[in-house]
Amino acid sequence: MRSLLRSSFVSAALVALTAVSAPCQAAPRLTGELAWAIHYDPKTFDPAKVDDQASELVRYLTGGVLLRLNRQTQALEPQLAESYSVSPQGTLIVFKLRDRLRFSDGSALTSTDVAWSLRRVLAAATQAPVAEEFVAPGEVTVDTPDRLTVRVHLPKRVIGVEKSFDEIAIEPANRPSEGRVTAGPFTVSDYRRGQYVRLRRNANYWRRDSAGVQLPYASGVRLDVLNNREQEISLFLRGEYDVIDGLSPDYFAILTQRSPQSTRDLGASLNTEQLWFNQSPAAPLAEFEKSWFQNRGFRVAVSEAIHRADLARIAYNGHATPAYGFISPANRMWHNEALQYPHESVAEAARMLATSGFHRSGNQLYDAAGHAVKFSIVTNSGNAARQKMASMIQQDLAAVGMQVTIVPLDFPALIERLMHKQDYEACLLGVANAEPDPSSMVNLWMSSSPNHQWNPSEKTPATAWEAEIDRQMELQASSAVQQVRKKAVDRVQQIVADQQPFIYLVYPNVLQAISPQLRGVQPAILAPGLVWNIEVIRRQGGAR
Amino acid sequence: MKKRIPAVLLLLLILAAVLVLLLTRYGYADQDRDAIMAPSTAQHWTGTDELGRDRTVRVAAALLIGLTGAAAAAAITTAIAACFGLLAAFSPASIATLLLFVSDVFLSLPWLFLLMMARSVLPLTASPLETAVTTFLVLAALGWPACARAIYRGAIELRCSEWMIQGHACGLKKRQLIKLHLVPHLRSLLLPQFLVCVPAFIVAEANLGALGLGVGEPMPSWGAMLLELDNSALLARSHWVYLPIVLLAVVLLILESFTTEVETHA
Repeated sequence: MRSLLRSSFVSAALVALTAVSAPCQAAPRLTGELAWAIHYDPKTFDPAKVDDQASELVRYLTGGVLLRLNRQTQALEPQLAESYSVSPQGTLIVFKLRDRLRFSDGSALTSTDVAWSLRRVLAAATQAPVAEEFVAPGEVTVDTPDRLTVRVHLPKRVIGVEKSFDEIAIEPANRPSEGRVTAGPFTVSDYRRGQYVRLRRNANYWRRDSAGVQLPYASGVRLDVLNNREQEISLFLRGEYDVIDGLSPDYFAILTQRSPQSTRDLGASLNTEQLWFNQSPAAPLAEFEKSWFQNRGFRVAVSEAIHRADLARIAYNGHATPAYGFISPANRMWHNEALQYPHESVAEAARMLATSGFHRSGNQLYDAAGHAVKFSIVTNSGNAARQKMASMIQQDLAAVGMQVTIVPLDFPALIERLMHKQDYEACLLGVANAEPDPSSMVNLWMSSSPNHQWNPSEKTPATAWEAEIDRQMELQASSAVQQVRKKAVDRVQQIVADQQPFIYLVYPNVLQAISPQLRGVQPAILAPGLVWNIEVIRRQGGAR
Repeated sequence: MKKRIPAVLLLLLILAAVLVLLLTRYGYADQDRDAIMAPSTAQHWTGTDELGRDRTVRVAAALLIGLTGAAAAAAITTAIAACFGLLAAFSPASIATLLLFVSDVFLSLPWLFLLMMARSVLPLTASPLETAVTTFLVLAALGWPACARAIYRGAIELRCSEWMIQGHACGLKKRQLIKLHLVPHLRSLLLPQFLVCVPAFIVAEANLGALGLGVGEPMPSWGAMLLELDNSALLARSHWVYLPIVLLAVVLLILESFTTEVETHA
């Protein structure tokens, strides 16, 4: 027992030591090389099969694409394609390639390579995640009238499908090389599992700067596999790393304190943090609880009782923006400026609860049948900001008589409860929106979707307002007229604000760190936010 | 006098914690949102945490919750261990072997995973108090085999002692033997086991809390407060974040000294 005591005490002390111990050593930097950390190994280097962040970054840095989404202007720009056109019916896209394009091994890049790459991505056998964006990829055909023209025939119009070409890397026909022969700015030159991915400059890259200097400026990129923010920050401060993206508010504060000129708060991101109640009729909850959660007045009262400004100020050290809808104000094109939402007011929340059949006795709220209003909020453990928000919501809701318990669960256990058992009462989680276009959010809003979290996979919409959301989302997904789409998305935002199926809390800000040595960085909120224009980024004095 | 110093220090700490909880106007869950990570002030003697909760109140509550829970768990563990150890020592060899085998099986169980399982089957709406009680009950249920072994060995020595043999030879009945010879010697056998268990359970709860498996929020616990030390941004903002680990070390040292003194004089 004594030895148990001692060993336990030692392990308790380790908690303290982790904060100060950060022995770290990065691989040596080559001349002109850029370096930063990725948090885990890329799952694949095959650009067609990318479905994780690390692999996506490698594809972005190495893959030559027909069109590129400018992460700042959010407009599509021609890359390997010199120009493109979409037919009025939206079923034919014609790409005109640049002349004299070459792959990194010196071989010519022609329409044959483009057609082969597109067909490979669209083939069911490849199981390319990007193929889903074509809705019916099996019915899409590609032909090549000449060596510089590629025609893509779609069975029917798919809104925003042009953006999918930003995710399709063109490879040499019949010679897939897992990033070693590319038409992008870099190629994969070395990979050591658990250590780093090294990319080398593509000497045959097609782009030149305004002075005629061939891009990219950097001689290479080293992506260290490092899932430890303390070490990452330490290496950044020592000049071993050039950028850090997606900083948490705590680490942002540390960096700002030690190197104020390095940090950037770009304001609200496209991501949301939200609370929702389980409204599924199949949920293994008591009927009276389901009736609370399906009651609009109850949800609106909860929304009114939460002090979002406090959540942003305290849980995110001020680096978040209070949220009232699913489209962030950072998404200027789609955010509904005229959105009307329930304002924060404990008195108004109490009044709403009273009109919805609830009454208060002492510090406890009861429903009409006399059940005390008690429920739990599940969230994922290990996310300090979410756990702080949950604790604050616990106190906010106590002010209207609700007793809340907070249950942090590890992610697999949480997903099991949410997606399979539906055994939870309320959940606090976030949604990462990679794209500004609401088409990418269809799977969250359609009532038939398994990702329609508050009531997944409905056979028919459970309520009239969910049916209306379905109609408006279908309308925005099928209309080619921007005004019609905007009006439909505005309507969905208003329905969500009225019904509060998701109670939006904050939009976390985009927090980044950039080495003062770096030139050419144009921070953006869309991934990869700091290196989206990698071709023109270089270290000061870093010879190629 | 010297041997009483640890006991006096421990009592003083407990008294101070009780006074803090009685005299301050803050509850351990109260969030002062205008005083986030506040420094030491007249209102918040050792400042506040990241949610504006008074650190003095939370440390005092954690101390009392930890000590009470650990003492209760240690009492349960010692009682279970005493039953097993004594039964094995005074039973026929075959039963003793079986009982010791059961205790060995318990010793070899992966207790951390058992605790995780026990916590996961708790209803989501379990209150923080219920999670605290469950945590210490599970610790008690899993901590007894090591004690049972020690008590078994002590009881074997008692059974073979000269006075027991003499009493037996003099024709004393079993009940008289237990009353006259066994019970008076049990105190010196069980008390050290109880005292060793208390700090072990305090540390075990702290470790579990640091893993997010201990007492539920907003009830304060050593483990949850030690988690603050994992955040270097907080360490830079206030030295008071070290208070829980310093106080935990002090409490453990006092309990260790107390146990050593008791063992020396037993």
